[in-house]
Amino acid sequence: MAEIRIENVSKVFGDHVAVDNANLTIHDKEFLVLLGPSGCGKTTLLRAIAGLGMADAGTITIGDRDVTYLRPGERKISMVFQSYAIFPHMTVRENIGFGLKMNGSGADEIKKNVDEAAELLHIEQLLDRRPSDMSGGQRQRVAVARALAMKAEVLLMDEPLSNLDALLRLEMRAELKRLLQDVGATTIYVTHDQIEALSMGDRIAVMRDGVIQQCDEPSTVYADPSNRFVGGFIGNPPMNFLDGLVRADGDEVRVSVGGNDIAPAPHMASALAGFDGRPITVGIRAENMKAMTGQADGSVPVTVQVVEPLGSQNLLTVDVGENRLKVSTHPTFDVSAGDTLWVQFPPDQIRWIDPATEEVVSSGETTVGA
Amino acid sequence: MSDATRIQERKQRPTTGRIATYLGAFTIAFWILFPIWFMFSMAFTTREEVRSFPKSVFPFTPFSTDTMEFFLGVDGVMSGLINSIIVAVITVVLSTVISAPAGYAISRYIFPGRDLFRLGVLAVRAFPVVVLSIPLAVLFIRANLFDNILSVALMHTILTLPTTILVISSVFASVPYELEEAGQVFGASPWQSFRHIVLPLVVPGIAAASVLTFVLSWNEVFAASVLTLENRTLPALLLNQLSQSGPAYQFAGGFFLMIPSLIFMFVIRKYLFNMWGQVSK
Amino acid sequence: MAVITPRKKKRSLTPYLLIAPAVLFLAAFFAWPMVQGLILAVYDDEAVLPLVAEASIEADRTGELPQGAAVAILGQQGNTIDGELTSDLLTEQWFRVTGTDPDGADVDGWAPETRIRVRDEASDGTPIGGTVRPVLGENADPLTPIRSEPTERADVIAQLEQRAPVEIAEVTVLEVWFNVSAVDEDGQAIEGWAPSRFIRAFENGEEGRVDRGTDGQFTSRFVEKMLDDRFFGPAWRTTLLLMVLIIPIQFVLAIVMALVIHARPKGTSGFLYVFSLPMGMSDLAVGILFFSIFTSNGLLNSILDLFGLIGDNPPTYLGADTRGWIIAAIVLAELWRATSIVMVIVVSGLQAIPDETLEAAELFGASYWQRVRYIMLPLLKPSLQVALILRTILAFQVFAVVIALGGGEIVTVLANETYRQYFELRDNNVASAYAVFILLLSLASSVFYLRAMRSQNEVAES
Repeated sequence: MAEIRIENVSKVFGDHVAVDNANLTIHDKEFLVLLGPSGCGKTTLLRAIAGLGMADAGTITIGDRDVTYLRPGERKISMVFQSYAIFPHMTVRENIGFGLKMNGSGADEIKKNVDEAAELLHIEQLLDRRPSDMSGGQRQRVAVARALAMKAEVLLMDEPLSNLDALLRLEMRAELKRLLQDVGATTIYVTHDQIEALSMGDRIAVMRDGVIQQCDEPSTVYADPSNRFVGGFIGNPPMNFLDGLVRADGDEVRVSVGGNDIAPAPHMASALAGFDGRPITVGIRAENMKAMTGQADGSVPVTVQVVEPLGSQNLLTVDVGENRLKVSTHPTFDVSAGDTLWVQFPPDQIRWIDPATEEVVSSGETTVGA
Repeated sequence: MSDATRIQERKQRPTTGRIATYLGAFTIAFWILFPIWFMFSMAFTTREEVRSFPKSVFPFTPFSTDTMEFFLGVDGVMSGLINSIIVAVITVVLSTVISAPAGYAISRYIFPGRDLFRLGVLAVRAFPVVVLSIPLAVLFIRANLFDNILSVALMHTILTLPTTILVISSVFASVPYELEEAGQVFGASPWQSFRHIVLPLVVPGIAAASVLTFVLSWNEVFAASVLTLENRTLPALLLNQLSQSGPAYQFAGGFFLMIPSLIFMFVIRKYLFNMWGQVSK
Repeated sequence: MAVITPRKKKRSLTPYLLIAPAVLFLAAFFAWPMVQGLILAVYDDEAVLPLVAEASIEADRTGELPQGAAVAILGQQGNTIDGELTSDLLTEQWFRVTGTDPDGADVDGWAPETRIRVRDEASDGTPIGGTVRPVLGENADPLTPIRSEPTERADVIAQLEQRAPVEIAEVTVLEVWFNVSAVDEDGQAIEGWAPSRFIRAFENGEEGRVDRGTDGQFTSRFVEKMLDDRFFGPAWRTTLLLMVLIIPIQFVLAIVMALVIHARPKGTSGFLYVFSLPMGMSDLAVGILFFSIFTSNGLLNSILDLFGLIGDNPPTYLGADTRGWIIAAIVLAELWRATSIVMVIVVSGLQAIPDETLEAAELFGASYWQRVRYIMLPLLKPSLQVALILRTILAFQVFAVVIALGGGEIVTVLANETYRQYFELRDNNVASAYAVFILLLSLASSVFYLRAMRSQNEVAES
């Protein structure tokens, strides 16, 4: 069992709070992705888990061991570094076997584990070569093999694919996912690439400014962001945000956007009624809107500014009053800049965000925890 | 945003490694500083105290400039000091003037012979001072330059030239050539873009190299002793009078030899690493 | 490694113009003197003295004698001086005299100074008048010959009676040439003339030896003289002993200092400044510093006295019979002085190791010492190699510290012997031989280190 519990962990550098009171539980054999823009504290949190820089507050537990004060070597973890950190003066075999040598494994066991790890990564033929004459992709495989050879229950990965070029990254992503499923270690994977996060993670923890914003399965994080930041960070294009004004008239709640009224879903009505007379932010993803050439029920007129044909879809940039938003359409949808279109906002696809807190307004029926 | 002060940095428990680090740091610092401290305290006390035994291990008691005044009054000391300064200044000027263009050339141009030149420069640096001093002295005698501080300055220039060339070339290399090109794109002539873009960026580095040159020249004793007889520089003078001089003279002399390096090392401490990193290649 | 990115690729004269001053300066004051120095050590430009058939430099050579060859002096005569006046020049003075011969005719010619007694001098001491000396001996010709030129070989143009008054019109100084016979290097007996300044005549005036020659010759004489020098053995042995004692301790100390800096204690930059202080210090100042510690009424004894560890007579450490103590003091002084430069090189090397590499080792369970042993030291190898070469070359030059602590007699080193040969014994050639010896040792050790390191790498590669 290697469940990782992070409780109230904080880390400061001088007067900069890098990780602010993080709480997170990673289940045994789970693949958790720590996602966030650069400088959000995700690597700092990973390093705190690894023991490279002690947490300034809180506790970290792996399985039933409190590792908060343990040195990295004592935590029974393994790690793939962003720069790979391959030891340049050792052969690939020595690199992969380093951890085993350090924990005093016998020569036979080292050889067996090294060979196994090399086979998993298809680098048997590189074992006696030195890292200096290897490609980036090969080094990456060595770094992963070295981490796997330890057979640790916890595997930490710090942006392992960020130094590869695009094509190789795509290939490695799929291979890593398959590999890690087979290995079955509890994995924490740090990345700033949302595609990696969405495609690989069992769950994604989104961080910003040292604070964990949301931790959920990829589909939930995508469809039901807990706040404006998560919605804006995940997805390409990111979620659209429009300024609206709430008008409650008894049971009837309307939100006016650019002079047009939008009706919220019925289950949201009571929650939105509290915003009567106050502004609200309307959040909706590009693919969830329906663009039409003619007016329909509840549709809003928009002016097309830019048409970007992307092959599988056409991405339109349109103006609604003061707001600009992205709408995706079928590639055959024929439109050009300057045209006027009508766009429908399906009520159950709209996420209502309180502009003051930037939190998504919940209907009161479910709670979304940060 | 959160306020950092509410989270106290968790004090790392003092591990044995941490304790050993500080123990080592302070022991080594003491080993280096204590002799200097002792010498300074002896240089600024009375001559009676300097001659006495046992000496006070507590420094500067009594504080007095007596030793210093005595030392500066000894025949030849003032002229030795002045000679040392003149030699060092000539060396700095010559060395910088000759090295700067060469350093610029090897950092900015690829030309046939560049590697040979670099190798030659490195070879000169690896040559022992002792080996060069004797033949140079013989040549200077033939050229009637013997016992002339100019000859010492020329010798010191040779000794410092390779270091200065390598340091200055690394200083130039640290300024991207794109900056010069950008200057030229915006209408400056090559000379103007050098003058207004590169020069301001390299002046501190070159100044630091000059300071290093000054200290090397100030300290050098073998060549100065071989090349002079009457017109001694301070180190050469001290070396030759060491056996006939009293402790007051020695302490004060040692103090004067150390002072520039202490000051200049402090001034160039930021560049120290870059320079020696270069030098040690 | 500093990255130098040369950008300009077009061929032009500019770079050559820029490096020209440096190249010229290095050629004039480095390459040329170095060649001269090498020549001084193996070439004796006074090795051979040619003998000529007559006392004239234009005369034919009859043979040549090596420096130091014994000669028999058969005769001598004055000759016009060729070359500068030197103190070892044997000379004759001739006067041009005017007077009247026994027949009453006017005489104007040359006579040697030995035949004229000067009776009258000008105010500046120039002889202007005198009388012909009487000729001694029963059978001697009583008349003194007067010659057309100031040399015995010139024609006799007149004769003067003894005690005849003469006016001295002109004085000339002639160099004496010796007519010598000797056995040359091939065992051939030869005879000929040579200027007296090249031959040292013994008291009896009949024998002498060749003092110095005029023609150069390659010789191993200076090298042999160096090898036979009584200080040569002690000098190189002490130099090597100091190297063997200093360098290993120095490297351990430098690595420890670098590791302390690399561990980033609070105030790292301050510690770094202090640690690198000795690097900029004059070796002479450091010598004086340690002299003040080890001298009998110095700091060491003062501290010992403070704790009552010594009696009334403080022990002497730097005396004639405490060679071991002097060596110890030199070792300490050199450790104090020259460890900083090694430390700076090692710190630079450590800084070049990426943090992640060390973290990876730590994460995979390596303890601090295992990280030092398996990661840092192997990766520091290039830096250590550079430092080792640098330190070894510098170790051959250790000089001022030795003089300051040992006076240069009881403990001597190669650089000191070079200085002694040059300065006290005025023997440039042997001094150069010492210098070349130091150069060869430096080169040999550099090559040795490079070879050793490379072959080690090759073993690791295979």
